[in-house]
Amino acid sequence: MRHLSRYSALAKGLFVAEGRKGRKVVVIDVRPTATSKQADEFLEITPGQDFEIATVLRAIIKGLPLPELPEDSTVGGVPLSKWRELVSLMKACHYGVVMFGIGVTESRGKDLNLEQIIKLVGEMNEFTRFYAIPMRGHGNVNGSNQVLTWQTGYPFAVNLSRGYPRYNPGEFSVMDLLIRREVDAALIIATDPGAHLPKVAVEHLKNIPTIVLEPHENLTTSWANVVIPVAPAGVGVSGTFYRMDNVALQVKKLADFPFPSDLEVVKSIKERIADVKDYQRASL
Amino acid sequence: MLKIINGQVYDPANGVSGELKDVYIEDGKIIAEPGFPQNNAVPDLIDAAGCVVMPGGVEIHSHLAGPKVNTARMMCPEDHYDHFHTKTSVSRSGTGLTIPSTFLTGQLYSRLGYTTVFEAAVPALLARHVHEELQDTPLLDAGFYTLMGNNYMMMKVLGEPDSKKRKERLRDLVAWLLRSSKGYAVKVVNPGGVESWKWSQGSVNLDTPVPPFGVTPRRMLLELVDVVEELHLPHSLHLHSNHLGEAGNVQTTLETMRTLEGHRLHLTHMQFHSYGATKSGGISSEAPRIAEYLNQHPEFTCDAGQIVFGPVTTMTADSPMQFHLHQLTGNKWANADVEMETGAGIVPLIYRPSNLVNAIQWSIGLELLLLVKNPWQIFLTTDHPNAGPFTAYPQIIRLLMDADYRRARLAELNPKAVRYTCLAELDREYTLDEIAIITRAGPAKALRLSNKGHLGVGADADVAIYPLQQDKEAMFSRPAYVLKDGQVIVRDGQVIKNVMGRTLFVQPEGAQKLPPDLADDFARFYSIALSNFAVQEEYVERQEVIPCI
Repeated sequence: MRHLSRYSALAKGLFVAEGRKGRKVVVIDVRPTATSKQADEFLEITPGQDFEIATVLRAIIKGLPLPELPEDSTVGGVPLSKWRELVSLMKACHYGVVMFGIGVTESRGKDLNLEQIIKLVGEMNEFTRFYAIPMRGHGNVNGSNQVLTWQTGYPFAVNLSRGYPRYNPGEFSVMDLLIRREVDAALIIATDPGAHLPKVAVEHLKNIPTIVLEPHENLTTSWANVVIPVAPAGVGVSGTFYRMDNVALQVKKLADFPFPSDLEVVKSIKERIADVKDYQRASL
Repeated sequence: MLKIINGQVYDPANGVSGELKDVYIEDGKIIAEPGFPQNNAVPDLIDAAGCVVMPGGVEIHSHLAGPKVNTARMMCPEDHYDHFHTKTSVSRSGTGLTIPSTFLTGQLYSRLGYTTVFEAAVPALLARHVHEELQDTPLLDAGFYTLMGNNYMMMKVLGEPDSKKRKERLRDLVAWLLRSSKGYAVKVVNPGGVESWKWSQGSVNLDTPVPPFGVTPRRMLLELVDVVEELHLPHSLHLHSNHLGEAGNVQTTLETMRTLEGHRLHLTHMQFHSYGATKSGGISSEAPRIAEYLNQHPEFTCDAGQIVFGPVTTMTADSPMQFHLHQLTGNKWANADVEMETGAGIVPLIYRPSNLVNAIQWSIGLELLLLVKNPWQIFLTTDHPNAGPFTAYPQIIRLLMDADYRRARLAELNPKAVRYTCLAELDREYTLDEIAIITRAGPAKALRLSNKGHLGVGADADVAIYPLQQDKEAMFSRPAYVLKDGQVIVRDGQVIKNVMGRTLFVQPEGAQKLPPDLADDFARFYSIALSNFAVQEEYVERQEVIPCI
């Protein structure tokens, strides 16, 4: 809800002095939500139709004929005329933003749905300014993507086992590696796989040595072999947070904690390894 | 103490041209030849017999770190798959051909003998990200230029009718933006043009009023260039002019230069701004006109932005230009809007010798480098990774030093290119002295880095030692030694020691705070709080503040 008040719906802008009144908010979802109640227009769609909807929208934007679709037909459970209205609205605005959630990638079509949405937003720029912002789930997922990308060239699913970075989502992503039981030890930082991964992946984790850096008790710490308590970032230690729109912000330390930071723990582990392997310290 | 003996020293800033001369180094600095008696210490020796000794290279314009570079890395894994570097006992692994990861960027630059680099375009709002990447870019001293040419607060201030008050307010704002971002210079990209595109309006000329404040690009440039001088910033205004890459843009470029005559000004990637228009709407070379103008105006400097054939990743704050490139090529495209400040776009591309436009562009860059008579006015860049990756510098050096090689390459281009260019008629060959100027001494002077780009007493001991060879591309691809702050970091083209460089930035005088009305705007319209804007000290652990004098 903070998103609506602070950024997307209610905020008063330099060119939207009226705030909410100066904006049109359209929500597309498979069920009514707290967000859809705030919308000017709510289009309730049938699940699993994301690809079809985005494709039809792209065709309408481009003004292509839709001979297969009679004017009184529906797409994704919503009448075609509604989609035409939506496109008119989009073309008429000065500045549009599509905010999409993880649900788009979970329905049939997966990454292809996303590709359609991104293409749609790109094509809208022929008419007006349009942008897309992916809504991330957990805090600072973007920070992890950014750092991995500048250090290795890839945002996630990076495999360094050959001494250089390799990238292949579906092969080197955590879930796939665990399910194939390729992992023989795990260092877990700032996440709770016990709560978030499928059962078969968690089962494998339970069978191998597991080290967890974690400020709280959670579903992983109960069975991990080693738990190193750390100070929570943004409370017990300062750090950098990458917002969903890629703005990097410093989070500050508010209180003293008796525990070290993630950084200090990982650094001292790396130093021990460097001593054993005779690496140059400056390159750590 | 370290002593480099038997080398031919090229130190154009101090008038040394290929003389056999010893270079003495202590505590990371170049020192005078010590008199006798010495305190028993036997100096370490580097035998540079058969080699040329130059100051470490200085990169004046490259897109190497920050949000747009990282977005490009994310968007183009195909740039990385086949170009990976394994970790060694001293250096970390990395990937990337035209947009290498940060550790690799540091390694690749230092392996060419470069020791100082500047990232060319950073929105103040996103400066923290850039500093984070620079702290992960080893072996180099680095800084960046802060974008101001489409900044709302700048445009609002310029709308102030009282000229004296306007000047004061602008000076305070520019100083505040530089200090907050910990930047080095004022960068202007397509002044007003990015903002105009955000309003879905057309491209701007120097006298087009730009929404929402109606300020013209000419006014922006005249006022900013003044403020840069008043603040005594070490580097001049760093300008990416309007109409980049458009046929006939030579008119705008010349008009821009005439407008700013008498001021210090750096015009970047000049190759992209030196186009005439053919009857069919294509481009032709206007490099001779641009060069002639520069030859008469020593106050201006520029860099080449030389095209390199092969894959590139274009990225710039000039978002309308990138959108047009995306429409033109159909290649994938990323675009960003940095709320109150600027925009950015990214499009991967391949330059081909058989493509007429690319062949003409390639010729224009070389024409500029050969026709601008004073090497202190034009510097070697590829606007990395826009016109080509910086790793192609040795190849360009060979093109400049070897006219036969150049003609052979020219003969391989689209045969129609010679109709629109004059490169075939140019016989000039660069000397080693001139190469030392366009790759280190000149950029260091334009950036007013008094400890860089030369080997005089007191200079930073950043040194590149290249084995003399007939093939200049081979020579400059593989230095025998590279020293950073007096330590040998590269031996025979390989990194042998990892050191971290410093972040270079300025702290100009001026109000420490935003004036109340702008602070009020900031509170209302930025998506972050004013107190979170300025980059904290933690992001510049190893720093060097370059004085504004």
